[in-house]
Amino acid sequence: MTSEIKKDLRYTKTHEWLKVKGKNAVVGITDHAQKALTDIVFVELPAIGKTVKKGEELCVVESVKSVSEIYAPVSGKVVSVNKELEDSPETINTSPYDDGWLVELEMNTSAEVTSLMDSEAYKKIAD
Amino acid sequence: MAIKSPLHHIHEKLGARFTEFAGFEMPVMFSSIKEEHLAVRTSVGLFDVSHMSNVWIYGKDATKLLSLITVADTAKTGAQQSQYTEILREDGTIIDDTIFMNLGDKYMMIPNAGMNTIVVKWLNDQAKKHKLCVTIEDVSREYAILAIQGPKSRDTLQKISDNDLNSVQFFGCQYANIAGVPCIISHTGYTGELGFELQITPPKKAEKVFNAILDAGKEFNIKPIGLGARDTLRLEKYLMLAGNEFHGGRTPLEATLGWTINWDHDFIGKQALLKQKEKGTFERMTCLECVDKGIPRHGCEIQKDGKTIGIVTSGTLSPCLNIGIATGYVHPDHRAEGTILDIIIRDKPIKAKVIKPPFVKKDWAQNHHQLETFKTQ
Repeated sequence: MTSEIKKDLRYTKTHEWLKVKGKNAVVGITDHAQKALTDIVFVELPAIGKTVKKGEELCVVESVKSVSEIYAPVSGKVVSVNKELEDSPETINTSPYDDGWLVELEMNTSAEVTSLMDSEAYKKIAD
Repeated sequence: MAIKSPLHHIHEKLGARFTEFAGFEMPVMFSSIKEEHLAVRTSVGLFDVSHMSNVWIYGKDATKLLSLITVADTAKTGAQQSQYTEILREDGTIIDDTIFMNLGDKYMMIPNAGMNTIVVKWLNDQAKKHKLCVTIEDVSREYAILAIQGPKSRDTLQKISDNDLNSVQFFGCQYANIAGVPCIISHTGYTGELGFELQITPPKKAEKVFNAILDAGKEFNIKPIGLGARDTLRLEKYLMLAGNEFHGGRTPLEATLGWTINWDHDFIGKQALLKQKEKGTFERMTCLECVDKGIPRHGCEIQKDGKTIGIVTSGTLSPCLNIGIATGYVHPDHRAEGTILDIIIRDKPIKAKVIKPPFVKKDWAQNHHQLETFKTQ
């Protein structure tokens, strides 16, 4: 089961992706993760303004049989959430890197980004 | 080390993901739980349920023993009939729920996965205690069990069956030849749909039957189904899962299985049940349908005005209804139809409404079909 890995993103060992947008970062789960979870049927998004530390629980994604925590790849403050997912969580399955994004964070420091894996490194753990 | 099904290699070839359940390594899903679930509701699906147990019970006093150890009056279950029932302790709590088949010369009982040792010991102990002349044989690993379920299950199976399946009544059972393999067929299942179950011995013969069913069902887009969808299918129809619903010692009255009890015969646990019945107020299994978004899971608290009044025994997203559904034991004061209770999911109360079982009604597939047709017009 090969999964798509995007070159311009950063990755975590727990299969989140992060896209830097200036001082902000958009977070989602990887194609590998959505395939492993199968049908995503529920997403619990954080409140806007919530602050999270790197590695803390950011949101929850549920399939029919499983509950999975999604962790913050970097520390920051939630500035935006993908509300569309509340009515169509399956978008994470169909478009994990685009329409299925989860949360936008305002990063405390961009220094944490460099600690995340690049696509080459993530490829090694995503098979 | 988990026991593998005799069909394990076939499941691997079909791309199954596996899970451990009651000491068995079984497919949890093949493609997607949702897809598999809807295939069974709208057409047909094939399950390997070889993890379930098989016990032969025969001899002069077989009927007497079965009557004594179950809430059913076994004398009333004629040849070629099967019966859903429960085996109770003296205190009225459920050891296991099971189906037994009257095959004329002997009975075959199907205890739950991993329950064969406990049930067989209980049967032997009771037979000895009451001086009954009966033979009890645990043949759980000598049988493979297949379930074919869904509105197209009969059409599929008929193509490869020597028996006229219309002659097998609901909860009927008989010896049959399916795909040239002798087996026991029963008009039973765990999905709330039209369906059949096949007991096949020796287990290696099941491969031929499994493949023949998949082949015969191609025109109906048959799917192999894992334990994931088996669980969501049974819960939508308010069918009990022993390990969840009877855990910690529950009586059939609490589990709302009073309809399975034949009060006109003596059985182990009867006195305790009569006492409970007289008392009248005790927690009963209750159906909750989420009003708010959220998926209740096994172990979530059920609250009323911030006070815990029960625990979710089974919960899931209903693939048919697309809402959270749950069962749990609730005091009679809080289980009137329409009562709004809270289910606590990750520390947050989610509103849920008490409804009359089952969650998915009989005409669901028909209405669903009409809706889908309307959408595509």
